[in-house]
Amino acid sequence: MADVFVEQGGQRNRRIAWVAGALILLAALPHLMPDNYWLRIYGMTGIYVMLALGLNVVAGFAGLLDLSYVAFFGIGAYTFALISSSQFDLHVPFLLALPATAFITMGFGLALGSTSIRLSGDYLAIVTLAFAQIFKLLLLNLDQPINITGGVNGIFGFDPISIFGLRLMSPVAYAYLIWGAACLTIIASLRLKRSRYGRGWEAIREDELAAEALGVSTTWMKLKAFAGGAFVAGATGALFASFQDSVFPNNFDFPQLVIVYCMVILGGLGNIPGVILGAVLLTVLPEFLREYGAYRMMSYGLILVVLMAIRPQGLLGNVGFLSRKKRRPDKDDTGTLRASTDLYYTDSTPTAETRPVHTAGDGVALELRGVTMSFGGLTAVESLDLQLREREILSVIGPNGAGKSTVFNMISGIYPPTDGSIRFMGKEIGGLRPHQVAREGIARTFQNLRLFTRMTVLDNAKVGRFCRTRSGALSILLHLPRFRREEAETDTRIREILSLFGGRLTGYRFDQEAQFLSYANRRRLEIARAMATDAQVLLLDEPSAGMNPQETLEITEFIQRLRDLHGYTILLIEHKLGLVKTISDRVIALDYGRKIAEGTYDEVAGNERVIEAYLGRKTTKTGGPRPGRDTEQ
Amino acid sequence: MDIFSQLPQQLINGLTLGGVYALIAVGYTMVYGILFMLNFAHGEVYMIGGFAGWWVLHLLTSGNRLVMNAALVIILMIVAAMAVSGLVGVISERLAYRPLRKAPRMNALLSALGVSIFLQNLVLNFQGAKPRFFHVSALIPEGLRVIEVGNVVFSFMRMLVIAVSFLFMGILTYVVKKTKVGKAMRATAQDIEAATFMGIDTDRIIVFVFLVGSALGGAAGTLVGMLFTQVDYYVGFQAGIKGFTAAVLGGIGNIFGAMLGGILLGLLEALATTFFPSAYKDVVAFTVLIVVLIFKPSGLLGEKIREKV
Repeated sequence: MADVFVEQGGQRNRRIAWVAGALILLAALPHLMPDNYWLRIYGMTGIYVMLALGLNVVAGFAGLLDLSYVAFFGIGAYTFALISSSQFDLHVPFLLALPATAFITMGFGLALGSTSIRLSGDYLAIVTLAFAQIFKLLLLNLDQPINITGGVNGIFGFDPISIFGLRLMSPVAYAYLIWGAACLTIIASLRLKRSRYGRGWEAIREDELAAEALGVSTTWMKLKAFAGGAFVAGATGALFASFQDSVFPNNFDFPQLVIVYCMVILGGLGNIPGVILGAVLLTVLPEFLREYGAYRMMSYGLILVVLMAIRPQGLLGNVGFLSRKKRRPDKDDTGTLRASTDLYYTDSTPTAETRPVHTAGDGVALELRGVTMSFGGLTAVESLDLQLREREILSVIGPNGAGKSTVFNMISGIYPPTDGSIRFMGKEIGGLRPHQVAREGIARTFQNLRLFTRMTVLDNAKVGRFCRTRSGALSILLHLPRFRREEAETDTRIREILSLFGGRLTGYRFDQEAQFLSYANRRRLEIARAMATDAQVLLLDEPSAGMNPQETLEITEFIQRLRDLHGYTILLIEHKLGLVKTISDRVIALDYGRKIAEGTYDEVAGNERVIEAYLGRKTTKTGGPRPGRDTEQ
Repeated sequence: MDIFSQLPQQLINGLTLGGVYALIAVGYTMVYGILFMLNFAHGEVYMIGGFAGWWVLHLLTSGNRLVMNAALVIILMIVAAMAVSGLVGVISERLAYRPLRKAPRMNALLSALGVSIFLQNLVLNFQGAKPRFFHVSALIPEGLRVIEVGNVVFSFMRMLVIAVSFLFMGILTYVVKKTKVGKAMRATAQDIEAATFMGIDTDRIIVFVFLVGSALGGAAGTLVGMLFTQVDYYVGFQAGIKGFTAAVLGGIGNIFGAMLGGILLGLLEALATTFFPSAYKDVVAFTVLIVVLIFKPSGLLGEKIREKV
């Protein structure tokens, strides 16, 4: 089994050299600072690096616009202030207080997140902003009736840090402590990003519905992002409180939030080296621009506006020397130029392997009974019965608006059916959430392509493995054996699946972002992604839409092979009747949400009601065209 | 006993606040209805309107006397506030939002956040952090300063705020429902692409929406300035959240919902001050916001939007 974490010798040595160099620099810098003022700034830089990386998990990885982030920083700082000072005479030792603070803050993060996580984008932003305001009001006003927060005066004079009897007092010691924590945060960020969590979050950021349909438990993952961000913010808050030896409400005010957001955005949302650089730049630069201090916040506003318009990917996004080297797309491993047509038509010659080994069986894989879906007054699907047998290719046809996509949406859990039952392998799955349906073994593609456009081909497919892997935060952060094993498995399985598509999705395309793929290749990647979930049943929604005749032939053959060679059960929506005719064992025709015909292709194609549905009535007894045909998108 | 006798007074206070919130909320909701963008900077536009009104009053006052008719001064203040705010709104649309129209929504949101911070600190740098006081006593006609009916006080400024805000809401309703440009606005809000194909210059409609929304926000800024006799660079933040809450309460994207939401929120806040310490007054708005978003995100009059798959 190939371990994906084994690097080639040269690459590994270079990486060790980089890391060692950076560590030596970090260790040397405190001793090189001209005075305590600069030493303080050095410490603050470390704190901002941590803070920005924590926000990067929530806003960068998962794409959640959390405007209460600085409140978590504040909760951490105040919690530390309360348990590690004379305020309540608790005097918890630092080594206990720091993790306790982080976990308490994470608890707040979970509580707050669970109330608001279902909200999308701007709503989440505004609710979290309101939370942050309530937090600040509480800080300011909880000095009476009993004095908890100290009101505007804050809390100050904390216990000095002592670790195993060793007292940390000097600014240099603080610099080491803070940057040590910052380094841990950096490592944790890097590890999270290259794990099932990182890919799950990125998928949610790119397309939440598609992520859910591919088996990512989106609500839970978003909550985890929230909690992770709060954890880092809380720990950072504790360090900050101890470092400043005081806490005040305006340390955790709106401008502070804006500064941290600017750091993350300047570096590029999700881009770890970028965010670190952003934090360093925005902490150190203002020190050189002290005399223009009044314009500091104004320029932060401008930075946001200008960056969003010109470089939304941040300063370091797509900068060559910092991102991994990518192979030239027009060259293969030997470096010779290949024409794109070569790539297209290699591997398409059938080999001896194409001897069918699977045919439709008699067992029922998926059964819909009396399934109805109404949207308000409109009944999109009405008491539909459908049986999909094991290893069968069943096509659903019908005019636009017949309810075909609605059937898919009900099976995959996107719409809970109004009535009726959906059973998969004898188990009721109607009403399950989409990620649960995916885990049961049914995966789908989307008619209007919902790839994670800014993720690579490999990562797109790896998202499909999310529901088949179990590594938790601890396994990922510590690279426990389970995580290594699962990552290796994921990698092998994905490469296996992608190689079924020949040169179209392999080789240099592994590292290509989905947005740069051709239309036909995107359709292929959607299928690959669905296969990666280890599904038994594939729901393919117009797999050949937008393909040219050559590509259609190819995809037809491919779908056939999926069943014949690999034993998938396939439910297919398709408008190209040539494709339907070639591969379907059976065909079902829908019109106005009702099944109007069922049988072999020829039976259905010859059915009078089907012809009528497609071409209209010959005799106009009812007269005039019927309304409501163009509702499908 | 006390609470019931205070009720009519709180109703007046609530209507005053509510009218102002409604004016602000309309600006949020119109922009959201078309661009699905939360214009974070709208609160700042409101604040700038307050400053514009203050400057007019300041320049037209010499000693403690006005240089012209009080009614004219009030009209000039409101017109100036609307002009300046409208201009700020249109410029920010052109420079900060239009380039991002096809970008992910988060980018537009962050850009709006940037505009908000920029405007706030621009005003801070040029006007300072200290509040500016409106010397309104000269604006109020002697006989109308305070009218008491029973134990209810009708102050002139409150009446003015209620009258002006309801007048503007009436005009807006007429424009949206009865005029050609209103029809174009409604079409653009329903489907911007289809509206373009039908020959509507949607870019101009968007500019118009920013102009009207920002102008109404500016008018609200000046009205509140006159009512509470002061303005500072930070008032936009609170007002922005209140206006947004009102818009969400009514159902964001729905202009009449925004008006209804504003008035309801004003009444709620006024009632809450009878029961809670005033330090926590703002918590009411936040709580309403959170509760509405969590339990009925489509608001009172909004439609439920289902994602097409």
